[in-house]
Amino acid sequence: MSHPTNVRPRPFLEPAYCKGCLRCVEACPKHCITPGSTLNPATGYTPVELHLDHCNGCALCVQACPEPFGLRLDEGISHLEGEFRLEDPTKLFGKKCVHITEAPIEPDAEFPLPACEPLVLKGAYASAIGALFAGCRHVFGYPITPSTEGAELMAKMLPKLGGSFVQAVSEVAAVNMMYGAGGAGVPAMTFTSSPGFSLMLEGVSYMIGAEVPGVFVNIMRGGPGLGNIAPEQADIKLACRGLGHGNTHAPVLAPSTPQEMLDLTMRAFELAFRYRTPVVVLGDGYLGQMTGAVKLPPAARRMARPDWAVWGDRPHRHNLISSIHLSEPDLEAHNEHLGRKYAAITKREQRADLYRCDDAEVLLVACNTPARMAKGAVEQARARGIKAGLFRPITLWPFPIDALAPLLTRAGQIIVVEASAGQLEDELRLALSHAGRVPPPIAHVRRQGGVLPQQSEILAKIEETQEAFA
Amino acid sequence: MSSTTADCGCPPAAPVETYTAKDFRSTLKPIWCPGCGDYGVVTGLYRALASIGRPPHEIAFVSGIGCSSRIPGYTTAYGFNTVHGRALPIAQGIKMANPDLLVLVAGGDGDGFSIGGGHVPHAIRRNLDLTYIVMDNHIYGLTKGQLSPTTPRGAKTSTSSYGSIEEPVNPLLYVLAYGCGFVAQAIPSDMDGMTKVIEEAIRYPGFSFVNIQSPCVTFGDPEDQAKVQKAKMKKLSDLGHDPANRLRAMELAQTYGTDLYTGVFYRNPNPPQTYDHYIRERQEALRPKQAAA
Ligand SMILES: Cc1ncc(C[n+]2csc(CCOP(=O)(O)OP(=O)(O)O)c2C)c(N)n1
Ligand code: SF4
Ligand code: SF4
Ligand code: SF4
Repeated sequence: MSHPTNVRPRPFLEPAYCKGCLRCVEACPKHCITPGSTLNPATGYTPVELHLDHCNGCALCVQACPEPFGLRLDEGISHLEGEFRLEDPTKLFGKKCVHITEAPIEPDAEFPLPACEPLVLKGAYASAIGALFAGCRHVFGYPITPSTEGAELMAKMLPKLGGSFVQAVSEVAAVNMMYGAGGAGVPAMTFTSSPGFSLMLEGVSYMIGAEVPGVFVNIMRGGPGLGNIAPEQADIKLACRGLGHGNTHAPVLAPSTPQEMLDLTMRAFELAFRYRTPVVVLGDGYLGQMTGAVKLPPAARRMARPDWAVWGDRPHRHNLISSIHLSEPDLEAHNEHLGRKYAAITKREQRADLYRCDDAEVLLVACNTPARMAKGAVEQARARGIKAGLFRPITLWPFPIDALAPLLTRAGQIIVVEASAGQLEDELRLALSHAGRVPPPIAHVRRQGGVLPQQSEILAKIEETQEAFA
Repeated sequence: MSSTTADCGCPPAAPVETYTAKDFRSTLKPIWCPGCGDYGVVTGLYRALASIGRPPHEIAFVSGIGCSSRIPGYTTAYGFNTVHGRALPIAQGIKMANPDLLVLVAGGDGDGFSIGGGHVPHAIRRNLDLTYIVMDNHIYGLTKGQLSPTTPRGAKTSTSSYGSIEEPVNPLLYVLAYGCGFVAQAIPSDMDGMTKVIEEAIRYPGFSFVNIQSPCVTFGDPEDQAKVQKAKMKKLSDLGHDPANRLRAMELAQTYGTDLYTGVFYRNPNPPQTYDHYIRERQEALRPKQAAA
């Protein structure tokens, strides 16, 4: 079709590329464009309609159209485009390929596993295997000692299971790949260690804001800064109180054996999808490297594609993942919504392991590897006639205060055992304070820099506090 | 103790003492694996610094994290072993605070082109007078053998179990494309050639880049070791390459990963003013006012 040169070309619409934004409707001074009424089955959008009787060829609509091939000027050389003429993309690339399926949302599924003998596994491997059984097929990571083994195992396994492991260019890239995969509704995870986790926190804040699930296995090492690669627990504050900017919280699980590395990683995926939230599995460097007997779960799971996911099928059309709420009241309401979620998690998801706590007069509070030393000290103290017990939080956030509170009627002394400068103790004190509990005296055994509390010093502390009472 | 004039482009132009390589060797004993290419790099650096003639206390040596990033500790310069991937911004901070320092930056290929890759273009276009030495071993050494951004396609590493399916970065083309004024490549087994390009890079007034293919004997490809490199190496000077020809430099840089060219790919014949020059200029302009006040 060619035009006489004295007539300006008229616009025409490629319905398959119109997303119905209606910008052109506003742009046209002659009111030639109206919102459409017929859904385009190929795209699921409703393209605008053109009535060009009064059109003078001003091309303002073409300028307004954000789609490169949505509204264009009819063939011929337009005054806007000069010598350059856009080719019809169908001519260049063939018909735009749009597959839209009516895929039903498949429900969660469980696949029973044959019973087998326990395996002897490193903690990091146990966590990776747990993730695979939880249905995770998308792992993004950046090497960092002492967590790399988890990623390395995934790099071996996932290509054989139809999944992907990507070594991102940094932790910043890794967390954002998780944001993407999580936004598509698939279980995604990373293995990292303290400096890498620091770097991921921006992304974690966005994921919490946009309510995107993802599992972060942080094998804590000595800090601050590069520190060293020995075990520390100095990211408790970061995971429980510092997940990036904004009013953020996410469940924090603290395994203390390779078995729990597997179990809690699986549980992390459950929580992540139940609450649409990132979940942190906080291990320590010792736990990542330690081997132990690990029983495999009775069943493997497949996570359903959630209805909120951004996925290219009809049930998921119109989903939008975003953490932006420009209007103040909207953002306040969103924060209140998140607050209700945090409250629900706090009410329902507290977990703790109580060891000889029933009649305990001295209560040790410890998690991760230091809990193992504390357990040994409890045994020794009991052998010496001291009624000691170990309260081991499995969720650090929410702190399992509901299980702790009843023990305080009997316990006259708490001793917090940790490989940090008091970060676990701060969580404990905060939880007690929020619960309105006046705690008994709190003593502590703290080591830092990669040194773990020793059983003997814990025992000495127990005896010291008991002597004070005698 | 003869007096010469420093001609590295940096003030002060006052007479300086002469130094030997030994003056730049620290008492720390390197803990690199026996045979690691980085031993050669540090030796070449001692020699280059000796001929530059700036005293160790006027040199700040900044690195990221990695095996290669240990290098500042093995020199008598002021060392700064910083954050993984962030050596360049930190070095820029140092240079801006004290433009009179000779600032060297070093690290691995992962440090420089993976996690720190985003800083490279901006360091180049800001053009502070820094020398950036990358010890490119095509692997992550410190974390024990994972994929690096320069690992060749198909290579098996602990995080690319079935062979890498990623296209590697070409560090030479990368920096050339962003307008780096001095771009060279070297291998430690050609000690003289390497020493010479390091020295030239330091003397270049502006941001300069040297890619040293420094083999990792422990996790690296057995086919990518000193002997093979030495046999493979082709000197750009033997080709008659004119380092002022940027387009030809880019053409030659395309062969990164197949051919191993050493020497200077590109040296801007008309170096633009450096960022630190403008800082100094501003400081100069303020000086009389301060005196008057
Ligand atoms: C934020 C952060 N992520 C990961 C690491 C772990 N890490 C230390 S060095 C390194 C890469 C080492 O490779 P390269 O930079 O090529 O240097 P090379 O050891 O090979 O000389 C990594 C991933 C870290 N220190 N900090
Ligand atoms: S060319 Fe001008 S008058 Fe015609 S439809 Fe577009 S905006 Fe309206
Ligand atoms: S501006 Fe373009 S894409 Fe938007 S409704 Fe109009 S024609 Fe369609
Ligand atoms: S691991 Fe490789 S790069 Fe690191 S010191 Fe050993 S040989 Fe050198």
